[in-house]
Amino acid sequence: MGVLYLVSLLLGITCMLLLDHRFRLFFWHDAKAAAIVTAVGVLFFLGWDAAGIGLGIFLRGEGTIATGILLAPELPLEEPVFLLFLTLCTMVLYTGARRLLSLAPGKRRQRERENA
Amino acid sequence: MTYLWLAFLFVAAAIVAGVVFARQGARTGESRRHWQAVGLAFAALAVLTAVFDSVMIGMELFHYDSSHILGLTVGLAPLEDFAYPLAGVVALPGLWMWLSRRRDAVAKSNLKGLVPQAILASRPVSWINTAYPFAAAMLLTTREIDWVLILGTFYFLIPYNLAMYGINDVFDYESDLKNPRKGGIEGALLQPHLHRPMLLLAALTNVPFLLVLALAGGPAAWLSLAVSAFAVVAYSVAGLRFKERPVLDSLTSSTHFVSPAVVGLAIAGADVTPGLLILLAAFFLWGMAAHAFGAVQDIEPDRQAGIGSIATVIGARRTVRLAVVLWLVAGLAMLATPWPGPLAVIIAVPYIVNCAPYWNVTDTTAARTNTAWRRFIWLNYGSGFLVTLIFILHWSLTS
Repeated sequence: MGVLYLVSLLLGITCMLLLDHRFRLFFWHDAKAAAIVTAVGVLFFLGWDAAGIGLGIFLRGEGTIATGILLAPELPLEEPVFLLFLTLCTMVLYTGARRLLSLAPGKRRQRERENA
Repeated sequence: MTYLWLAFLFVAAAIVAGVVFARQGARTGESRRHWQAVGLAFAALAVLTAVFDSVMIGMELFHYDSSHILGLTVGLAPLEDFAYPLAGVVALPGLWMWLSRRRDAVAKSNLKGLVPQAILASRPVSWINTAYPFAAAMLLTTREIDWVLILGTFYFLIPYNLAMYGINDVFDYESDLKNPRKGGIEGALLQPHLHRPMLLLAALTNVPFLLVLALAGGPAAWLSLAVSAFAVVAYSVAGLRFKERPVLDSLTSSTHFVSPAVVGLAIAGADVTPGLLILLAAFFLWGMAAHAFGAVQDIEPDRQAGIGSIATVIGARRTVRLAVVLWLVAGLAMLATPWPGPLAVIIAVPYIVNCAPYWNVTDTTAARTNTAWRRFIWLNYGSGFLVTLIFILHWSLTS
């Protein structure tokens, strides 16, 4: 019984939200759309987990850093938190990549104008 | 290997959703940058997965049944685990792009009225005709109400009809313009700017239910769901247009109503008995007769629009007679089923009485059969009532 894993996940989520806040990427860009994407993402992954658990593929470990609290057979409390983190991480990486891609050519063009 | 198939299924669903979302959501020239960003994000996610999945497995947070996985690993992470970030990064950014674009004022006002239109288009008065066969077939087999029964009944009540009539109205737009009968209880004209959103709505409301129902059953359920979904699409979609192919039109239309029952039986794992097969065959004949008779009233507009149907090909009189004979055969077939099935023979009587006055109808007077067609829609409720009484009797006799 431990809370290390859960705390790490919550810290990870906090970091994603800080990045989101700093660069206005996801929730701080369009909160309603972000909420829908997050809900769809977490439910999609949970459905996948449920299917894997149902087919007997996914098994919970006895790791000492987990709380051991189960929401359903083989589905620990930490799993939806992890899936939330995965969804946020995915969206922050994507929106961040879009930002970088849209900045890069703009800067180049700006430099070209300055050189001309 | 099981995990690989599972991952494949979910990744495939994610790719389809991602591509559809991206096509709907991308502004001109935005698509390339979208997929570049998806690629970059996946590269980063793959590295993170390799590292942290290994750490999490190393810490014994979870593990896998080794008989279900390929055995290829990156660090400690099984190769299949990379399917999670792949599916997420393919589907979710597309959804994001589509949602944030949709929320831009212009697109938003255009979609106004989609859901009310979709509901009107789906003929709520006939929803019960597809939900009832599924629910009855499944309940009479399993004798209990579980989540699959509730989910499946809801699916065949609303999303299934949204798809069937939504797709139909999109591809029927041209011919419906010429038909004054559309626009009320029997159908609604769908504005062209709602055509693409309507098809998207049909896909989004159907695919998840089909996947879950498929997971709840075995190969028989997969096959019957596939036939059911195919019949829904093939009936009206451009290129197939089974509704314009005489005889095939009646067969497909009947499949729309019989296949939900077959899906229910397949998911419930019913025993295939001669009595059950006769019952399904009688139901199928009933459905064919219903479709053929319904086509008679549209002979004139269909011919003017250059559309073929069983009625335009064999003529009004012979179609009406065929329908009456099919109902008669369906009723008589029920006499061959175990008790209390033979009671169902009386259900054929009102249909025959309703249509017999048109025994000598001609192509020019065919439109008059609309009177009988309107009665037909309500007759179905009476038949449903009688069928339910027979099912209750069957239930009490066999429990």
